[in-house]
Formats: sequence, structure tokens, C-alpha cells
Amino acid sequence: MKLPLLRRDLLVAARRPGEWLIPLAFFTATVAIFPLAIGTRPETLRTIAPGVIWTVALLSSLLSQDMLFRRDIRDGSLEQLLLSPRPLILAVLAKAVAHWLACGLPLIVLAPLLAAWMQLPAEQLLLLLVTLPLGTAVFSLLAVFAEAVAAGASRSRFLGGMLALPLCMPAVIFAAAAVAGDAPAAPLLLLAACLSLAITVLPLAAAGALRASAQGI
Amino acid sequence: MTPRQQRMVLVLFILAGAALTVGLTVAAFRQNLLFFYTPSQIVADEADTAGRTFRLGGLVAEDSLQKSADSIEVRFAVTDTAQAVTVSYSGVLPDLFREGQGVVVRGSWQDGIMIADEVLAKHDENYMPPEAQAAIEAAKTLEQ
Amino acid sequence: MGTSVYATLGRLASPPVFYRIAEASRIWLIGLFLLLFIPGIYGALIGAPPDYQQGEGYRIIFVHVPAAWMSLFIYVNMAGMAAVSLIWRGKTAAICARASAPAGAAFTALTLATGSIWGKPMWGTWWVWDARLTSELILLFIYLGYMALVASIPDRRTAAAAGAILLLVGLINIPVIHFSVDWWNTLHQPATIAKFGAPSIDKAMLMPLLLMAGSFMVFYLAVMATMAQALLLEQEASSQWAKQAAS
Repeated sequence: MKLPLLRRDLLVAARRPGEWLIPLAFFTATVAIFPLAIGTRPETLRTIAPGVIWTVALLSSLLSQDMLFRRDIRDGSLEQLLLSPRPLILAVLAKAVAHWLACGLPLIVLAPLLAAWMQLPAEQLLLLLVTLPLGTAVFSLLAVFAEAVAAGASRSRFLGGMLALPLCMPAVIFAAAAVAGDAPAAPLLLLAACLSLAITVLPLAAAGALRASAQGI
Repeated sequence: MTPRQQRMVLVLFILAGAALTVGLTVAAFRQNLLFFYTPSQIVADEADTAGRTFRLGGLVAEDSLQKSADSIEVRFAVTDTAQAVTVSYSGVLPDLFREGQGVVVRGSWQDGIMIADEVLAKHDENYMPPEAQAAIEAAKTLEQ
Repeated sequence: MGTSVYATLGRLASPPVFYRIAEASRIWLIGLFLLLFIPGIYGALIGAPPDYQQGEGYRIIFVHVPAAWMSLFIYVNMAGMAAVSLIWRGKTAAICARASAPAGAAFTALTLATGSIWGKPMWGTWWVWDARLTSELILLFIYLGYMALVASIPDRRTAAAAGAILLLVGLINIPVIHFSVDWWNTLHQPATIAKFGAPSIDKAMLMPLLLMAGSFMVFYLAVMATMAQALLLEQEASSQWAKQAAS
């Protein structure tokens, strides 16, 4: 029932590959900066790798969230969504899934390459592959929430990113701590708790914010 | 689905999500989630501290502080009253640092001694004038 | 009980009524602030004895602790008013939430600054990234994000509703801040006063601390009321009462 929306968002993403390719290229290129800037000593790279990869993953998610609702507001399809009898919360979830497929999933595919660049050993790569789906899903939910809250302020670019950033911090802390890997169990569980909390609260809050923004558009 | 059923599904979804979140958090807190390790954990080798930087927390053992004659290096033992770990530190100690005081030390192993690169003093949540502290000490001595 | 208090206040306080109450009470709030602040700061700097462990340096708690309490209290209060503005469409509640944010952000920044100044001599560092300090910093970012959000949405009702939803989602951070010192063994001390059993602070120190906390609270009310008045006038500029009040 919610699939037409998801299909539409994915179709739009496929027609405008720039929107998700640019964050992806940004992600890859920025990770490559670190060995070049800090030096290529394997121990140093290994120590900073979890933090670097997670920071850059967050930045690329923030970079790609800007267009989530902007076009829908401009061409009036957001109003159609609000008027439709289907629950708005499903539309919001479809947005989050589309955002994740376009910008979370490619990061997971790229992770082995980045791990090789950052001299990350296999067991830490495994942890990275476990944490990436959880953490990027939290990012996508927060991205949809923050953009929905900021939907009324169509003039201010990057406001949504500013709102999502502090709320993303716990997920970054737990994800990077899990990959750093001294005792990954506790941060992994807390990261999973972040995701479950995000999926419980944020679609509802985002739907509410979209309804509120409709008064002002 | 009728709107009523939709609302029921939503409420159930939120309750399930909240329960799952609480469950995961509680499970996480069962694990070790530590800012520092205690000397007993270090001695029992629970912390896997070989070759990496870690934090050690405890009390500075009484009569363990030794100042080096020709450098600013100091040595002291950090204890949790059961076990003790010897720490060496070159640098300025915080005001609150004294024997019997709580500290958090960051450093790594070198020849069986913990070489600290940071010593932080932890203070307790009790606030009282020096006279009151003296009275409590006197009462303790009387009891003994 | 808490919500019913908010509900009554929200319905009673129509904008003109609120404006008049705020106007009349300002002088009293300023007087009460001085009445609490002057003996409070005297007790804090001179009256209270030095601490058995930290000597004179501990006196910064008389600013640090009340500021930290206020940073959390204001946030919870804003979230309460946000809920009222969403549920009962309370205009004044939405304005008060918005008018509280600068004071909340300022108290949070003050908490971080005084904590830093205190941490250097006592702990031996300006800053540690432990749970308490990190979550207080995130609180500051949430305050700033909220202020940026409501400032950049031109439509008043949209700004109020979007801000309210952000405040309610950010509420998750508050218990993390309060309990972080109990959950993790951080460098920050556990609670002295807000705990089960008697506060573990000497009476001669507790009195000035409570006076300072009271004065901060009154200060917040005065600042919030004044800012809310300004926001109300701006919003209701076309209405009859606002024209009268402004003339």
C-alpha cells in the first residue's frame, strides 16, 4: 500500500543520480583526505578509522537530506500527501526508507574499500558492517524528522542539518565505540536501542511537523 | 482499516517500540560500560589493557607517593582497597591530588608500571567546612 | 497534576491578560531577584565556610549548580509549554516557550563555562568527554537549533508547532543528563542535593546555594516575561489591545 510512494522516491533518485552520487563521492573522497593529511602510519590510521568513517558517514547523510521535502513542497505533492486518506506516518516511513536506500546502503557497499584504506583489520570491518546499517538507519530517520520540522523554513538551507546534527551524536558515539572494539557488546546494544527509539518516535513526530508546516506553506 | 483500527495499531507499535528500547538499554547496562577500570579489574586481567591506552580509577594509596629527586616524575599507587597498581607521572598534579583522594589516571603499561599521561582528581559529593571534617575524623578515632 | 496546571494557565492567559500580568509583575520580580541574589552572593563569596577538601575554590558551585538546574528546568518547562501549545493551541504557551529559549541557552553555556573553570584546578583539566559533560553540550546545541528553527520559519503558527515538536523529541536528552553520573562512573561527582536521603552539604553552604537558585529562577521568569511581552506585541500588532499597550 505504501509502495507507490517509495517507488516514486526511488524513481526520482534514479532520474537525478547527482543527488545521491554526490554525497557518496563526498564520503569516499573525504575519508581519503585523512591518510593524506595525517600521514599513512598504519597504527594511527587504525586508531582514528572508526571515528573518521562515522563522522564522514554522518556528514554525507546531512549533505543529502536537504532535498527530502524541498521538491515536494515546491511542486505541491506534499499537499497531496497531506490530503490523501492514507496515514501520513507511512508516507514518512517511505521517505526514510528511500533516503536510506539512496544514501545508507551505498556506504555499506563501500565499507570494505574504506576499511582497506584505513588499515582496519577484519574483525573491526565486521563490526563496521554490523553498525553501519543500524547507524545509517538512525541518520535517515533523523534526517526525515529534521527536514519535516524545518519544512516551514524553506528559505534557510542547512537548517534541517543543524537540527539533526546534535540528535545524531549518541548514534555516532555508540557506533564508533562499537567499531573501536574493546568491548563492542554494550555500545552495539545501545546503538540498537537508539534505532528502536528513533523508529518508534520519529515518524510520528515528523508526520506531526509536516501537518503543522502545511498551515504556513 | 478503519481509523479506529489504525490508531490501535499505532498505539501497539509505540508500546512495542518503547519496550524494545528499554529492553536493549537495560541489556547494555548489564555489560561493562566504563569510563575507567578499577585496580581489581586490572589485576584480574578483565580489562585486556596490554599495549593500549586505558583509564584507571581508584584512591591514591596512603604513604605511596614518591617524588623523584632530579625530575618532576612522581610515583604513587592507585588502590581500590583490595588491589593496587603503581603509576608513574611526569607533569603538574591537580590541586585536589593527595593521598586517600580519588583519581582517574589515563596511560599505558611500560615494564609493569602504568605510565600516566593524564591524572585527574575526582572529588566526592560531600561539602562541609574543615571543622566539621575534623569533628567526623575525631568521632571515627573515638570509635576505634 | 503538572499538565492540568499548564492547561489552566494556558487557557486563563489570553494574550492581553498575560501582557498585563507581565507588565505589572516585572518590578516585583526584579525586587524579589535582588532580595534573593544579594544575600545569596554574599553568603556564597563571604558567608559560607571553605570546603574541607576543595578550600575556597568550591565557591563556584554557587553559580555552577543553580545554572545547571536552570538549564534542565527551563528545558522541561519549555517542553511542557510546547505540549500545551500543541494540544490546546495555547497562543501564550507557545510564546512563553519561545521566550524561554535564550535564557535556557545562556544558563547551559554558563554551566559549561563555570564547570570548565572549576574543572581545571579541581580535576586537573578544562574538559573531559564523559557522559555528563557531553550530554550538557548536546543540550546547548538543541537550544541553539530550536532558536534557529523558530527564528527562520516566517509563519507564526508553523514556527510554534515545529518548535514544539523539536522540543518534545529533544526531551529524551534530559534524563540522560541527570542520571549520567549514576549510570556511568564518570569523573563528575554524583548528585549532592537531588538524591534520596539528606543532602550531603553543610547547612551554612546549602542556604546560599538555595538563595542563588531562587534568584536564578526569578531572573528567568523576569527575562522570559519581558521577552514574551515583546513577542506578543510583535505578533498581535494589528489587534486593538496591542495598539493600546504600545502607545
